[in-house]
Amino acid sequence: MKAGNNIKITGHSMLKADEKWELGLIDMAVTAAKEAIENSGNILPQVLICANALGAAMMDQRNLAVHVAGQLGLHDIETLDINCGEASGGAALRQGSAIIKAGLAETVLVVGAEKTSDALPEQLESIRAFGLNASLEAHFGFSPSIGAALGMKAYLKRYNLEHSMFYHLARTAHEHAVNNPYAIFPFKLNESQYLKSPVISTPLTVMDTAPPCDGAAAVMLVKEDLNSENKNKGIYILSSSSITGKLGIPLPVETLELPAVKKSIQESLTCANLNIEDIALFEFHDSNSFFSALSIESAGLSKKGEVLKDAADGKFLKDGNYPLWYSGGNKARGNTIGATGIYQAVEACKTLMENSFSDGKKNALIQSLGSFGAQAITHIIGKL
Amino acid sequence: MQIAKSWRRQGSHLRMEGVMCTKCKTLAFPAVMICTNCGESELDMYQFKGTGRVIEYTVVYEAPENFNEQVPYIAALVKLDEGITVTAMLTDVEIDEVSDNMPVNMVTRRIASIGEKGPIVYAYKFAPII
Repeated sequence: MKAGNNIKITGHSMLKADEKWELGLIDMAVTAAKEAIENSGNILPQVLICANALGAAMMDQRNLAVHVAGQLGLHDIETLDINCGEASGGAALRQGSAIIKAGLAETVLVVGAEKTSDALPEQLESIRAFGLNASLEAHFGFSPSIGAALGMKAYLKRYNLEHSMFYHLARTAHEHAVNNPYAIFPFKLNESQYLKSPVISTPLTVMDTAPPCDGAAAVMLVKEDLNSENKNKGIYILSSSSITGKLGIPLPVETLELPAVKKSIQESLTCANLNIEDIALFEFHDSNSFFSALSIESAGLSKKGEVLKDAADGKFLKDGNYPLWYSGGNKARGNTIGATGIYQAVEACKTLMENSFSDGKKNALIQSLGSFGAQAITHIIGKL
Repeated sequence: MQIAKSWRRQGSHLRMEGVMCTKCKTLAFPAVMICTNCGESELDMYQFKGTGRVIEYTVVYEAPENFNEQVPYIAALVKLDEGITVTAMLTDVEIDEVSDNMPVNMVTRRIASIGEKGPIVYAYKFAPII
């Protein structure tokens, strides 16, 4: 996605990711949407897009955007739901950008919302499993966590590493969440806590997975011309890329690669006329440690087999070479599943506005993954 | 709904039937409508031998719903002799007896029970070749 109108993020909001017993899916989406509209200076959207992965499977509201628009009193606008599994947030952001790029609308509100706490853990795991190949993997007792466990084991074996080395990825995320008021687990993680964590599927433990959370976040996308008095100021969506590669659990486990991740990042950098060294912070899809490791390596931030050592050396901390999960990522902020891509966008906006980075860097790379890494959606967000 | 699905999938789930492309001879499991290699739509049914070896495995302690009663179970990647890798549970073997490259063959077993009143679903698992 390159030609067309500049897309500015004029407003954003997010709810704290946690267990929100008192709020339903629509309640959260409406709350986030209303705040984003207010933060944008009460720009009214011509299009409202909702990203949600689990609502239909949880017997919750389908056609969510229609109902969110209704409760916001937004009538006579276009509404659209996006469900691309855990990549829904990234896909919705891309769709919103495409609508503006194509000149079909000038203001688009993109909302991500997910309700996970209404299901028991095993029910949630089952629902998430159907984001894999339903008849070949979910049907046979596999889930994303089980696939990730196979991948972790293959990774440790291939590179002759101890499981404890994966601690450093979780440590990085938790360290960055410490001062994040929107994070469910804003505490530092020590190695002892990591090693005592219960096993989900050998060798993967609870601390190797991101905790499913309730949450909602929203961004207001606006065609640049509407905001001419502040032209070239603020945060923009600079590029977007969506790649779907080969499917299935076996491929990343056998190859220890995520080709879609690599291609999507390369394409988004090319579209933005940037290279990887121009990026100030990275938000990769850390629903589990296996994806974290392969994503970092696929992006070229670590050589193959060296990501855990690099994490141990602090390469991905805020003062490291490649700051990663600046607000805690899914691991410590909380995994809002289909809303995650929107959380990443909001966090990137806030971080870029509130911080200065070395060498004048002013861009963030955010990425959502779906279907066990077969689908990768990348955005580069930053200042012009 | 589950009964119709199980019936529809019996070729792949009970007999390990896939397809072979009539043009480029690429194999696919389970059956597909179009060859993923060359796009040919004329495909012949192919009977996989159902033998292979374990290339990776994990012991599952927290399972998706409908699989809880089998915990802990062994979830594995099995490389079939024809070269395709499938995801499957191992059976008829203790956890500490499993090893990499262990030869296995397909057996039909109960996969899951869909609720108290739902059907019992049968499909393939893999067991050590004795």
